[in-house]
Amino acid sequence: MSLEAFLLSASALFAVGLYGALSQQSIVMLMMGLELMVNGIVVAGAAFWFHVSPTEPDGQVVVLVAITVMALEMAMGFAVVTALFRARDVDVTDDAGDLRG
Amino acid sequence: MQVVAFWVLAVGAVAGGVAVFVVDSMARATFALLVSFLCVGGTLSLIELQYLGVLVVLMMIMEMLIMAVFMIMYMMNPAGLMPMTMVHNPRGAAAVAGSVFAGLAAGVFLTPWPDRRGTPPPDPTRALGEAIMGPKMLVMMVIGVAILATMIASVVLATHRGRYDRHGDELRERRPADPGGGGA
Amino acid sequence: MSVLGWALPFVPAVAGGVLAVCGRRADRFAPGVALLVACVTLGLAIAAAVTRPVVRAPMFEGLPVGMAVDGPSAVMVVTVAGAALAVLVFAAGEPAVGEARARFFGLMLVFVGAMLVTVTATDLALLLMAWEVMGAMSYALIGFWWHEPERVRSANIAFLTTRAGDMGLYVAAGAALAGSGTLTLARLTEGRDPWVDLVAAGVVAAALGKSAQLPFSFWLSRAMAGPSPVSALLHSATMVAAGAYLLLRLEPLLAATGWAAPLVAWVGAATASLLGAVALAQTDLKQLLAASTCAQIGFMVMAAGVGAVAGGTAHLVAHAAVKSLLFLGAGAWLTALGTKDLSELHGAARRHRLVGITFAVGALALAGVPPLSLWITKDTVLTAAAEESTALYVVGLAAAVVAAAYAVKALAAVVRPADAATAFDTEQTGTRRVGPLENAPLPLLAVVAAGFGLVGIPAVWDAWNRLVGGPAEHAPAPVALAVSGGAALAAAYAAARLGPRVPRPSVSADWLHLERAVDLILTRPVLALADALARFDDKVVDGAVRSTATAGRRLAAVVDRGVEVPVDGIVRGIGRGVGHVGDLARRPQTGQVHTYYAQAAVLLMVLAVILLLVR
Repeated sequence: MSLEAFLLSASALFAVGLYGALSQQSIVMLMMGLELMVNGIVVAGAAFWFHVSPTEPDGQVVVLVAITVMALEMAMGFAVVTALFRARDVDVTDDAGDLRG
Repeated sequence: MQVVAFWVLAVGAVAGGVAVFVVDSMARATFALLVSFLCVGGTLSLIELQYLGVLVVLMMIMEMLIMAVFMIMYMMNPAGLMPMTMVHNPRGAAAVAGSVFAGLAAGVFLTPWPDRRGTPPPDPTRALGEAIMGPKMLVMMVIGVAILATMIASVVLATHRGRYDRHGDELRERRPADPGGGGA
Repeated sequence: MSVLGWALPFVPAVAGGVLAVCGRRADRFAPGVALLVACVTLGLAIAAAVTRPVVRAPMFEGLPVGMAVDGPSAVMVVTVAGAALAVLVFAAGEPAVGEARARFFGLMLVFVGAMLVTVTATDLALLLMAWEVMGAMSYALIGFWWHEPERVRSANIAFLTTRAGDMGLYVAAGAALAGSGTLTLARLTEGRDPWVDLVAAGVVAAALGKSAQLPFSFWLSRAMAGPSPVSALLHSATMVAAGAYLLLRLEPLLAATGWAAPLVAWVGAATASLLGAVALAQTDLKQLLAASTCAQIGFMVMAAGVGAVAGGTAHLVAHAAVKSLLFLGAGAWLTALGTKDLSELHGAARRHRLVGITFAVGALALAGVPPLSLWITKDTVLTAAAEESTALYVVGLAAAVVAAAYAVKALAAVVRPADAATAFDTEQTGTRRVGPLENAPLPLLAVVAAGFGLVGIPAVWDAWNRLVGGPAEHAPAPVALAVSGGAALAAAYAAARLGPRVPRPSVSADWLHLERAVDLILTRPVLALADALARFDDKVVDGAVRSTATAGRRLAAVVDRGVEVPVDGIVRGIGRGVGHVGDLARRPQTGQVHTYYAQAAVLLMVLAVILLLVR
């Protein structure tokens, strides 16, 4: 229940999510990785609120913002996937190399 | 009791996260993620943030259901019946992720965290509500605008054929130009 | 009043200009128009001589120009207009089939107009303009038959020689302006000391050149290339007379300098004697007359040198009549018999009696035989010369003797009966007839040539002296008259006896080798200098320019190889380096989202490390 324990679990979640974001070909799986990363941030924010300055609501606000970001990221991600799929019948990041220099 | 619960939940959360990328089936991956989120929600409620915990749980349940729908829509291998890996550069990813984790963990244990000041208010949810309706109003407004923009943008992106496709750029066409009958 | 002054020179000049410009279209009626204009001009001249108009016009800032008919110019305008009319009447009578008559008469009239301005001008600017127009017209008239290169060459030589003298007039004008700030002829002596000398030197040079005095004489020989009427006009009252007239008119200026008057007197005396010898050696009638013109003008120049303005003017007028008469006679025979060689003209005077008689009168007058005009007028000059210096008188007397000899030589040649050796048409096909218009002016001229000596009667002489102005002069002394008359008669007798056997030294026959001397002393060195300068210009000046350009190009090549290539290499190297860096920068841009994530993660880690280290 110490701050370090919380932050360790948050770091683990973040790292796992990062691994997913970096390694998954499928866009949906990639987005799962992103969700996990935000998950870690939620845990870290809550832990800082509780263990460092519980009197101030800032940590809670951070958690709230992170949750919102998760939802928005999900919505935009699926909208993009839908557009991509409609345009090219693609659902894998490797086939969407439009930003190639 | 609480410590045990916390560790169980924390390990569960991380294990769920790992499971997402280990299991074959998309459905299992989704539920593994859901488990991870549920555990996180639990940890939140352990530190007197019951409202946020419940919020996470509810949101993630809905989100995972939606995700499952999309999975089944788009994935080639939704049920994991065909053993196949859909990863690129797993070693590099693992290395980066591992080093990030190592760095973060080092930071966690080496940083002299400040001491706790004060105790949590009797009703953290109330404090949060007063904050976002008071001093943190700007954050809420920005979030609101961002949600609205996301709604519009996602609808525009995802729509196959909109009004302008059907009624022309000036919306002058009386009869929509549809490939088939029966509306858009 | 002023209208008359302007009209006198400009009526012939403008009419002549129009005629000359009209070209061949006007050939048919050109003689008639020209004669009419000449008659009007003579009328105007007489009117002007009586009323003495003075005109002024603004020309330059503070230097008004003007024309005035005063004493000597009153005499001159009548002389010029009369001689012009006589010559034009003769020219109208000449058979000229297919000739450009409009051009001929037009140029003649412009010539006369320019001469009229020259004699009436009261300032150097107007004089200079008229002087130049006259020179240009003489060139055009001498080279009238421009299809023949030799005639054009003669015209060129005549023109260039007179132009060389004319430079003096420009010098004089500049010096007058510098010395006294005025160009008025009457005030030329007012300048400061060195300037007056310069003005005098310039005027003397211009006048000697125009009057074909030594050393310019040879151009007059070349001037014989023109038609006979041109010679008649050019040798009598215009062109050569203009120089003598200018000197007579500016006699005060010559006297003021102290050196110019003796110089002019001696040049005149030398020309009179030496060119007389040249005339004696000629076998061509027109060349003989040309040399005699130089000699006779020499007397007028001498008169200007010794201050005998009235005498010189009288000699000028008398000589104008005599010489135009003789040239017209020579021209008539040239047209009729096709030759002007003295040995082929035997019997010419017998074939054409009127021409012969008038020619005889002119020749005897030229010889200075008493009681004809030149005997008297010459002696007025010789009398003044004797007062100046005995040597000058002796030389002048010798010149008079030579004049008698050559005049009688020419006369004897045409009077002698034709013999077997005589051959006509050596130069052109003769017409064998002399027309009425050609004959018409001869008697009148002969009367003037014979009778103008009346001016020497003492009462008349004083009136003449007053008319002409200048210092009071003695009428010719009876003793001097007797001496010169006797000498002339003796020389005439000797020449008549010797006839063709008169000695002809080649020096004299070739006009004292003047042309060759000028060619050797002046023309060739100038051309050689011009060649050298042209080479200098080509090699050194132009060479410097070219070598500058070449050096510039070489330097540019060196810079190109030595500097530009490395610099360019550096630039290209930078470009290539940037290109490589750009390629490198493109390599992380895989277009794959996960690589971007990886890069971002790594960068963030690096940033975190840096933050830690910096803190």
